[in-house]
Amino acid sequence: MSPATTSTQPVNVKLLLIGNSSVGKSSLLLRFSDEQWLPEDESSATIGVDFRVHKMDVKGKKVKLSIWDTAGQERFRTITSSYYRGAQGIILVYDVANRESFEALPRWYSELETYVSSSVVKILVGNKVDKEFSRQVPTAEAEKFAARMSSLFVETSAKTSVGVKEAFTEVVEQIMDTPELWENTSARGQGTAHGNGGVPGGVQVVGLMDEQKPGEGCAC
Amino acid sequence: MDEEYDVIVLGTGLTECILSGLLSVEGKKVLHMDRNDYYGGESASLNLTQLYRKFRPDQAPPADLGRDRDYAVDLVPKFIIASGELTKILVHTDVTRYLEFKQIAGSYVYREGRISKVPSTEMEAVRSPLMGLFEKRRAKKFFEFLQGWKDEDPTTHQGINLDEDSMKTVYEKFGLEAGTQDFIGHAMALYLDDDYITKPARPSYDRIVLYTSSMARYGKSPYIYPLYGLGELPQSFARLSAIYGGTYMLDKKIDAIVTDSDGKFVGVTSGGETVKAKQVIGDPSYFGANGGDGGKVRVVEEGKVVRAICFLKHPIPGTDDSDSCQIIIPQNQVNRRHDIYIAMVSSTHNVCAKGVYVAIVSTVVETDRPEQEIAAGLSLLGPIYDKFVDITPLYTPTSSGQADNIFITRSYDATSHFETVVEDVQDVWKRVVGSDLVLKKREVEVQN
Ligand SMILES: Cc1cc2nc3c(=O)[nH]c(=O)nc-3n(C[C@H](O)[C@H](O)[C@H](O)COP(=O)(O)OP(=O)(O)OC[C@H]3O[C@@H](n4cnc5c(N)ncnc54)[C@H](O)[C@@H]3O)c2cc1C
Ligand SMILES: Nc1nc2c(ncn2[C@@H]2O[C@H](COP(=O)(O)OP(=O)(O)O)[C@@H](O)[C@H]2O)c(=O)[nH]1
Ligand SMILES: [Mg+2]
Repeated sequence: MSPATTSTQPVNVKLLLIGNSSVGKSSLLLRFSDEQWLPEDESSATIGVDFRVHKMDVKGKKVKLSIWDTAGQERFRTITSSYYRGAQGIILVYDVANRESFEALPRWYSELETYVSSSVVKILVGNKVDKEFSRQVPTAEAEKFAARMSSLFVETSAKTSVGVKEAFTEVVEQIMDTPELWENTSARGQGTAHGNGGVPGGVQVVGLMDEQKPGEGCAC
Repeated sequence: MDEEYDVIVLGTGLTECILSGLLSVEGKKVLHMDRNDYYGGESASLNLTQLYRKFRPDQAPPADLGRDRDYAVDLVPKFIIASGELTKILVHTDVTRYLEFKQIAGSYVYREGRISKVPSTEMEAVRSPLMGLFEKRRAKKFFEFLQGWKDEDPTTHQGINLDEDSMKTVYEKFGLEAGTQDFIGHAMALYLDDDYITKPARPSYDRIVLYTSSMARYGKSPYIYPLYGLGELPQSFARLSAIYGGTYMLDKKIDAIVTDSDGKFVGVTSGGETVKAKQVIGDPSYFGANGGDGGKVRVVEEGKVVRAICFLKHPIPGTDDSDSCQIIIPQNQVNRRHDIYIAMVSSTHNVCAKGVYVAIVSTVVETDRPEQEIAAGLSLLGPIYDKFVDITPLYTPTSSGQADNIFITRSYDATSHFETVVEDVQDVWKRVVGSDLVLKKREVEVQN
C-alpha cells in the first residue's frame, strides 16, 4: 500500500459537474478555472472541454483539483456511467431563472445514487443569479431542498462571477474534512489515475508493484 | 431533430464508438443512437438487473450475488493485447485518461487433460512441463530465430523466406513436435484453427512477436483489462466523440432506414421523426440481422459463436488462485476444428462482488448442439454457481456501402482479443472516408 500522503504531495481530488443542459455548468467551469466568460452567442462553441486541472491550497494542504464537464451528454440524458467513476465531489447545477432545471434535480440525485457512494460530497448550485428579475426559484426553497439532500448550497453567477469561487472552495473544504474520501484513494478499489488528469499518452496499469510476490521470478 | 448530420451511427458497440470518436475528432458532425438505454450494444458490460433482463426476463437476480451496481458482466469475452492495435488507438486518442487497466494474471493452455501456465519468463519456460528437455532446446532455437530475424539481413534468415515458406516448413526446420506446434500456433499466435500452418509464415511470425513483446511489457500475461469491464471502452470513445461535438441518444428505437429511389441512404426514422445525414454506420442488428429494417437484409451470417457466462464462487482450479486468466484449449486436444477459450475476471477488476469470479467459455459453433461443444471448457471450472448461455450469429455486411452510403460493421468474433475489431474499424473507416485511417495525436488541452 502507498504511504500516507506527505505534505509535499498534492491531494488529488476529482469533481464532476451535472445538471440540465444550459444551466451554466461549462460557464461555471470556465469562470472558475480560466477566469473567463464567453459572451452568450459564443458559448455554444465551448465543445472540447473535457476537464480542467486547478491547483489550490486548502487548510494547509496542496490540492490538485480535476473538474470534469459533461461533454454535453446531459442533453439527452446519456451521460456515461464511466463519467462518475472515482468522483469525490459533485456539483449539481440548476438555473435560478428556470424552474424546470430545479424540478429535474431529483432525477439527477437518483442517478448519483446509482453511480457514486453516499459519502461523496455534494453541492447544489443555483446559477445565473444576475437574472434576479426573472428568478423562478426562491433561495429559501432551494436551500431547504439542499439540506434535505444532505448537500451544501450556494447561489452563483458565472457571468458576474458572484459565488463561483465559494462554490468550488466549499466542496473541496468539505472533501478535505472527510479524509476517507482521499487519504487512501484505493478505498474505491485501486489508487491511481481516474480523474487525476490522467497522463496523456500512457496506459495506466494499476497494481503492478504489489502483484509481484517475493520469490517469484521477475520478468525484467 | 431537423438538423442534418454528416454521419449517423447506430449502435454503441466498441467498433461504432471508436468510429464516431475518430470521425468527430476529424470534424464530422455525428449523431450516435442506440436502441438500448445503456452503452455498448453487443460489447456492453451489464449489471445484474440488465443481465437477468436479457437472459431471464422473468427472474430477479438472487440476493446472494450482492449489489447490482458492483457488477459489470461482459457479453463478449476479450482482452486487450498490451502492444496491440487497440492499445495504439487508446494511446493516440488519449482516451486512456478515462480508463484504468489491470494486468490479466496468467495465460494457460490445456494439454493432455490438464492445464499448464504459458511461460512468461525464461525461468518459467525451463520449469514448464509443456515440453521435454530436448524439445525445449529445439523451441529455444526457434524463438531465437524469430527474435533475431531482420528483414534486411539475410544471415538472420537461415534459408527461410517468411513470405513464401509455410509455417509448416518453419516448424519442420526446427523439428518441433505436434504438441509444441499446437502451443505456438494457438496459445501464442492465437489462431483459432490450423489453417495457418499451410500458409506463408509471415503473419504467424508477426503474431508471435506481438505476443512476446506484449508479454514483456507487464510480465505476467500479454493482456490488460479495463477496470469496471470492457463496457468502459465504448463509453470512453463516446465521450471523446461528445467532446468533439458528437450528439448521443440512447433508448431510441430505430423504425426505418430511409433510402431514395436509387436505394441511396437519406436518413433514419425514430419515434416518427426522420433525421437526415450523408452517411450511416451501424452494427448488423440495425440492418436486417434480426429480420428488422423492413425486411431489407443487408448482412449475411458467417457462422455462430457459443458463449457461456459462468458465475463461480472460487478461482479456476489449477490456476494458482489467479484473480484473472485466459485458458486456451487447442482444437487438436479435444478433436475439434476450433479452439475453446476461457476468459476469467473477478472483483479485482471491479466487475463483480467480492468472492465471485466471472468466467466466459466460448468457441465457434461446429454442430447443432453448441452447448455440448464447450463441455470440455465448462468442466475445468469446478462447481458453477450460475450459467448464461448465448448463441450468437456472426454477421458480415453484403456490400461495402460505397454505393448506398450505408456502412455496416461486423459482429464480434470468437478471437480472444480486439485485433480484429480494430481491423474492422480500419476497414469501415476506409469505406466511409475514402482513405486509410491515420491516427493523429489529440491536442492536449492547456492545463495550468
Ligand atoms: C511494443 C512496444 C513495447 C514497449 N515497451 C515499453 C516498456 O516496456 N517500457 C517503456 O518504458 N516503454 C516501452 N515502449 C515505448 C513507450 O511506450 C513509448 O514509446 C513512449 O511512451 C513514447 O511515447 P510517444 O508519445 O513518443 O509515442 P507514441 O506515438 O504515443 O507511441 C509509440 C508507440 O508505442 C505505443 N505505446 C505508447 N505508449 C504505450 C503504452 N503505455 N502501452 C502500450 N503501447 C504504447 C503506441 O501505441 C505506439 O505504437 C514500448 C513501445 C512499444 C511499441
Ligand atoms: N445570465 C447568465 N447567463 C449564463 C450564466 N451562466 C451561463 N449562462 C449562459 O447560459 C447558456 C448555457 O451555458 P452553458 O455553460 O453552456 O451551460 P451547460 O449546458 O450547463 O454547460 C450560455 O448561453 C451561457 O452564456 C450566468 O451566470 N448568467
Ligand atoms: Mg456544457
